[in-house]
Amino acid sequence: MENSAKQKITEDLLPQKFGKQGKIWVAFLLILCIIGFIAYCRQLSKGLIVTSMRDYVSWGIYISNFVFFVAISLVGSLITAVLRLTNVEWSTPLTRIAEIISVAAITFAAIIIVVDMGRPDRFYNLFIHGRLQSPIIWDVIVITTYFFISILLLYFPLLPDLQILLRFKEKTGNGLNKLYKFLGSFWKNTPAQIKISNKAISILCITIIPIAFAIHTVTSWLFATTYRPGWDSTNFGAYFISGAFLVGAGGVVVAMYVFRKHYKLEKYITEDHFDKMGKVLVMLALLYLYFNINEFLVPAFKMKKSEKEHLIGLFTGEFAVVFWFAITTAMILPILILILKKGRKPFPAFIAGTLVVIGSWVKRYLIVTPTLLHPFLPMQDVPNEYRHYFPSWEEWAIAIGSLAGALLIITLFARIFPIIPIHETITETEEHEKA
Amino acid sequence: MKKHNHLFITLLLSCISVAVIAQDAKNDLSLTLSYFNNNNQVQYLVAHAKSKIDGRFQMIPGINVSFFITNDSSGNLLGKSVTNDKGEAFLLIPPTAKEQWNKSAKQTFVVVSQASKLYDETKASSDITKAKVKIDTTDDRKITATVLELKDTAWVPAKGVDLKIAIKRLDGDLNVNETQTFTTDSTGSITAEFKRDSIPGDINGNITLIAKVEDNDTYGNLSTEKIVPWGSKFQYVSNFDERTLFARRGKFPIWLGVIAYSIIIVVWGILISLIFDIVKIKKLGQEV
Repeated sequence: MENSAKQKITEDLLPQKFGKQGKIWVAFLLILCIIGFIAYCRQLSKGLIVTSMRDYVSWGIYISNFVFFVAISLVGSLITAVLRLTNVEWSTPLTRIAEIISVAAITFAAIIIVVDMGRPDRFYNLFIHGRLQSPIIWDVIVITTYFFISILLLYFPLLPDLQILLRFKEKTGNGLNKLYKFLGSFWKNTPAQIKISNKAISILCITIIPIAFAIHTVTSWLFATTYRPGWDSTNFGAYFISGAFLVGAGGVVVAMYVFRKHYKLEKYITEDHFDKMGKVLVMLALLYLYFNINEFLVPAFKMKKSEKEHLIGLFTGEFAVVFWFAITTAMILPILILILKKGRKPFPAFIAGTLVVIGSWVKRYLIVTPTLLHPFLPMQDVPNEYRHYFPSWEEWAIAIGSLAGALLIITLFARIFPIIPIHETITETEEHEKA
Repeated sequence: MKKHNHLFITLLLSCISVAVIAQDAKNDLSLTLSYFNNNNQVQYLVAHAKSKIDGRFQMIPGINVSFFITNDSSGNLLGKSVTNDKGEAFLLIPPTAKEQWNKSAKQTFVVVSQASKLYDETKASSDITKAKVKIDTTDDRKITATVLELKDTAWVPAKGVDLKIAIKRLDGDLNVNETQTFTTDSTGSITAEFKRDSIPGDINGNITLIAKVEDNDTYGNLSTEKIVPWGSKFQYVSNFDERTLFARRGKFPIWLGVIAYSIIIVVWGILISLIFDIVKIKKLGQEV
């Protein structure tokens, strides 16, 4: 491969300074984060009474958001680990996008749990007095582990790129150059270093798969180990994992489109990538649809008295509009769009991915709230506000702020580091040319 | 026109009279009275109030009833009570009735319900002959129960009385053997063999035997009890604070601890080794 070709790839993939659009985008995200922070300060000073959560709905939009973040974080294991281990070469430009989505999502999953606590100053008690028998403790352990693995999986493949970045001090600036030095000045691309790094990446790819499955299975067990209508299911672990893969893949398709368009990466994130990811998304949407049919059709067929009110509430009652919106946007419409070859072009695929992400967020809300509003014992002698749940402005602000925070991490990462691995792209191009 | 007016007035009056009759209609209240003598101690009376509603008998709560001895004259009033949710009203025969009680070996008790908007005044009575039950046991686990009735001033055996011999348990009585009911012979006695050898008793192996006459037309309800050490000793084993999934922190099942800690050690061991890999890479880089 000629040096000029390498130079071209490197220059194309170097992190770029924010343009006007980028600055507006960052400012917009920062404003949302600040509003969320102000709302959280209000919640800290006045207590959880500022939320709409009461005796029955004690897990509201925060826990829905937590489940969503945990779900979308699973994409790291799908794109990076599964596709890497199965030697799917076309996934190379997508690995770092998937990894940073994972890190951002798992970071905010941990944060949003603390937000849901009435007394976050007592958080340490979870470690001091935690019971090993409780799925909550398993969740704490597995989230910490997954976060750590995701960071390592992001870091190891970044090392060769850091060496490249150090060569472009004029372009990247002094501040960033210091950061690159701190993180990777010791990388000299020696065979011994490459060997250790490749071995570490392989180990991480193998380790992350069971941990990724565990994180979402354990999250599902937070619900399934509780005897309540809608949660009392042996299907929950697989149901959650399939949903997580779907939303993660949807998130990657959206990010692919945005980065491709904004950083002009059409040569690297090609239409073929959208075509392949579109097919993956259709398969995952069909799989999740299958689990949804299982999850709702079987109890609906039996219509046990305790489940009846909850199911009717979802199908035709209070939550019907939201329920059918979620099923349609997260599964049916994306399948209909992406099953056609034209639908797997970048823009339609982006629309389908966006629908998946929005629908999946709403789906998490439906997993949490309607069940809590349908306890086995009837609600008696309680204020009317206990019987319904609609998040307060503080809850919306915090939830939107957390989503903005995750997007901000991804945006800032793309500003600092190459969003498509430079070294891997060059190596693969060379290998293709040799072949 | 006039003919129509007559017809209309007749119909109107008919409707009014039906409505008035309907307003005045009261349900029939059925009262029954039972006499109880437990352990030959304080005797008491129980009145049951029921009525046929929607084609089936239902117990009627909240009925005011008065209990009398001999007859329902005000001087013979024993006391008043109100029926509970099960339609039952209780009254312990008070010491003030002792003189009246001692007058005869036979007694009549009367219960009268107070008239209300729904029910007319209703009466019921129960005639009893004073009697008592005695229970005795032998070392070879045989139970002898005797029914005696008062004749003038002497206690004489009561022949042909149906009697149950049982072990008193929390949710009801358990027969001492396969025979449900025994009938007293000419000596007023029955003998039953105890065949429940492995039945759990209290901490000392004690169980309570009970001999009872139920709803007898002549004697009412009689019973007596005796504690015998024929049960197996109850060994209290506390399962509090055992290692279970629902136990407190630190009392998790061993298998859970082994699995969970093994996973944590293996996974974090791998991760720590990868941190050492970074250190190795760093050292290799510095050597170049």
